[in-house]
Amino acid sequence: MNMKTLLGTASVALMIAGSTVSAQAQIALGHLADYSGGTADVGTPYGHGVADTFAYVNKNGGVAGKKLEVDSNDYGYQVPRAIALYKKWSGGDKVAAIMGWGTADTEALTGFLAQDKIPDISGSYAAALTDPEGSSGKAKPAPYNFFYGPSYSDALRAELMWAAEDWKAKGKPGKPKFVHMGANHPYPNAPKAAGEAMAAELGFEVLPPLVFALAPGDYSAQCLSLKSSGANYAYLGNTAASNISVMKACKTAGVDVQFMSNVWGMDENAAKTAGDAADGVIFPLRTAVGWGGDAPGMKTVEAISKMSDPSGNAYRPVHYVAAVCSAMYMKEALEWAANNGGATGENVAKGFYQKKDWVPAGMEGVCNPSTWTAKDHRGTMKVDLYRSRVTGPTDGDLTDLIKKGVIKLEKVKTVELPRKPEWFGW
Amino acid sequence: MASSNLIPAGDFRSSYAADTTIFPTSTSRNFAILGVALVCFAPLVLTEYWLSILIQIGIFGIAALGLNILVGFTGQISIGHAAFFLLGAFTSAYLSNHLPIPVFFAIPLAGLVTAMVGLVFGLPAARLKGLYLVIATLAAQYILIDFFSRAEWFTGGSVPAMANPFSIFGYVLRGDRQYFYVVLAYVLVSYMLVTNLMRTRDGRALVAVRDHYLSAEIMGINLTKYRTLSFGLAAFFAGIAGALYAHYQLVVSNEGFGIERSILFLAMIIIGGTGSIMGTLMGTAFVVLLPEAMEWLSMELKGGVIDRALQLNTNLTFLREIAIGLIIIAFLVFEPDGLAHRWRQIKAYWKLYPFSH
Repeated sequence: MNMKTLLGTASVALMIAGSTVSAQAQIALGHLADYSGGTADVGTPYGHGVADTFAYVNKNGGVAGKKLEVDSNDYGYQVPRAIALYKKWSGGDKVAAIMGWGTADTEALTGFLAQDKIPDISGSYAAALTDPEGSSGKAKPAPYNFFYGPSYSDALRAELMWAAEDWKAKGKPGKPKFVHMGANHPYPNAPKAAGEAMAAELGFEVLPPLVFALAPGDYSAQCLSLKSSGANYAYLGNTAASNISVMKACKTAGVDVQFMSNVWGMDENAAKTAGDAADGVIFPLRTAVGWGGDAPGMKTVEAISKMSDPSGNAYRPVHYVAAVCSAMYMKEALEWAANNGGATGENVAKGFYQKKDWVPAGMEGVCNPSTWTAKDHRGTMKVDLYRSRVTGPTDGDLTDLIKKGVIKLEKVKTVELPRKPEWFGW
Repeated sequence: MASSNLIPAGDFRSSYAADTTIFPTSTSRNFAILGVALVCFAPLVLTEYWLSILIQIGIFGIAALGLNILVGFTGQISIGHAAFFLLGAFTSAYLSNHLPIPVFFAIPLAGLVTAMVGLVFGLPAARLKGLYLVIATLAAQYILIDFFSRAEWFTGGSVPAMANPFSIFGYVLRGDRQYFYVVLAYVLVSYMLVTNLMRTRDGRALVAVRDHYLSAEIMGINLTKYRTLSFGLAAFFAGIAGALYAHYQLVVSNEGFGIERSILFLAMIIIGGTGSIMGTLMGTAFVVLLPEAMEWLSMELKGGVIDRALQLNTNLTFLREIAIGLIIIAFLVFEPDGLAHRWRQIKAYWKLYPFSH
């Protein structure tokens, strides 16, 4: 009996010791991905990009000698599920950081992240997440929220600046008309006020916003109101799949309008699906080049892609490449933290403040230089505007279509926005 | 004396009190008390993951209980239950954020407010039956959800609303381990309330309306009153559950409570057994555990042949939905009386063992 108790105690002690040893050799990360919800069209490549990057990091020695233990979950773009997962991650086995996703769930988590000191690189680029101290007075403090790329509002401001020039260049008379389109949801709503204020400032006539759902559907009614209102520039705030529905319906209805989309509103897959309806859409690109682009860092991206596609044949849309950049920033912030007092959430957040014009190692020419400071989480103010070009039928393999130049993303303009205090936080 | 522990052969109940007793023997009562006492120790031994599952079972169990009053006991139907759940959540968050009302009082108040709204949406039940009533409750679902997404003063519009943590007299309960007891208390009170309700005149009136409304009316039961009342009661428990949910999650969002969640509530009572109070809890446990079990299954299969063939990784969510649908169909075909019926059969089998046929 005594022997048994002794053995039992010993084995329990061993188990505890063993689990702490393995915990020390690992860094836990949470990963929210949307593979099945309202934004699954763009959430899937982004989620795969994040997962592949961390798999690649682990394969190449991990972070400061420690393996990353990534808990990837499909939360279906639903806030309650994200909250439930967050509870798991902030509880007993606390994660060092989170790779987040949507605007609604990220904004819901902001307060908890600050309280629990867990940094989160979100797929949401809402400007409300850029103000770490709440000093702008327009957003609640979000000290542990980060994202890679221009905020939704800044991207829309840049698009409007382009639109104003475009209007002048075309020499059309009168005031151009601008309309914001998107679902009644935090994500499309995020840049609405900022965009409409900017449009009014630039001399646009701002039309009442048009609502269409995040899911693909029949949006002929919206296109007819677009037509009757005589809008010249329309911002599409949703993700690609539902934007395609609008572009197609408007093409059919014969609406003559210049579409400008959100960063998540356009990609190569969308251009292939929408066909000629996607021709001419203006959208911001977060990375310096797209898949297969000519840059030294593209080799790393290709190696990362092989983690889930050993053949190397898959075409990775812009969101995949952006996900690789986001995850690589996370990796380097973790590395800094691990070398400077341990990979706790607080240190990881500090890791984001260490470099100016930061490009992760091995990603040169792919990720745009970003700078985060303790007072300003706007990583970049540079917006690269691209235009999608579709010059023929888009049947067949996407890789081929890109190679043949049937689908092209051509650069239109780079807008370097000033870091205006009145644009901060909204 | 033996008669207090065992049920005698033959039916010797000679008073109404004996006929409507909750626990037929003192042993069954002691077992129930023991069960509750054991559950009280759950936060000390279970992991956070299992606690969160128990809390979900508790919260959804209260909402499903409300729906069971409506569907199982009164024979009405509602596919707008999730909207009332959400109304309770938003109301409690609003009350505790914008008015000087502590969360402790905000939860029952949210239940009352939801019950009022439920009574309004229950009015069509006075005139409508069957399919037409389904459509009327469908309207409730869509009207309420649309209201939530537009009423910025109330819900914050499309941005999720924040809810305060539960507190009693300045002491704030944080984390699942403490909140578990709040949910447990509400589950116990709700289930005892409804069990007792069904032993009163009003409860029997509801059952009479379900079994044969014409006979009930001839016997002097006010059909309009009881049909509407059952909507109010259903909404009350949905509101309480929603409020508990709000202060558990600390965030209320109008996502995830569309018609599919209302159907899920129906699934809980169909699987558990319509018109069975204990079955409600069993059905809720089943529906909450099913997606988790699917997840464990897919973890087991990870990397295997089946995983690669079905691409479980990215399609897990769809498989969960499919599984729930299939199981509802399977229950309707093979077990129309639900888990409660099966449980009674298992009990009868062991009671008569080894002489059961």
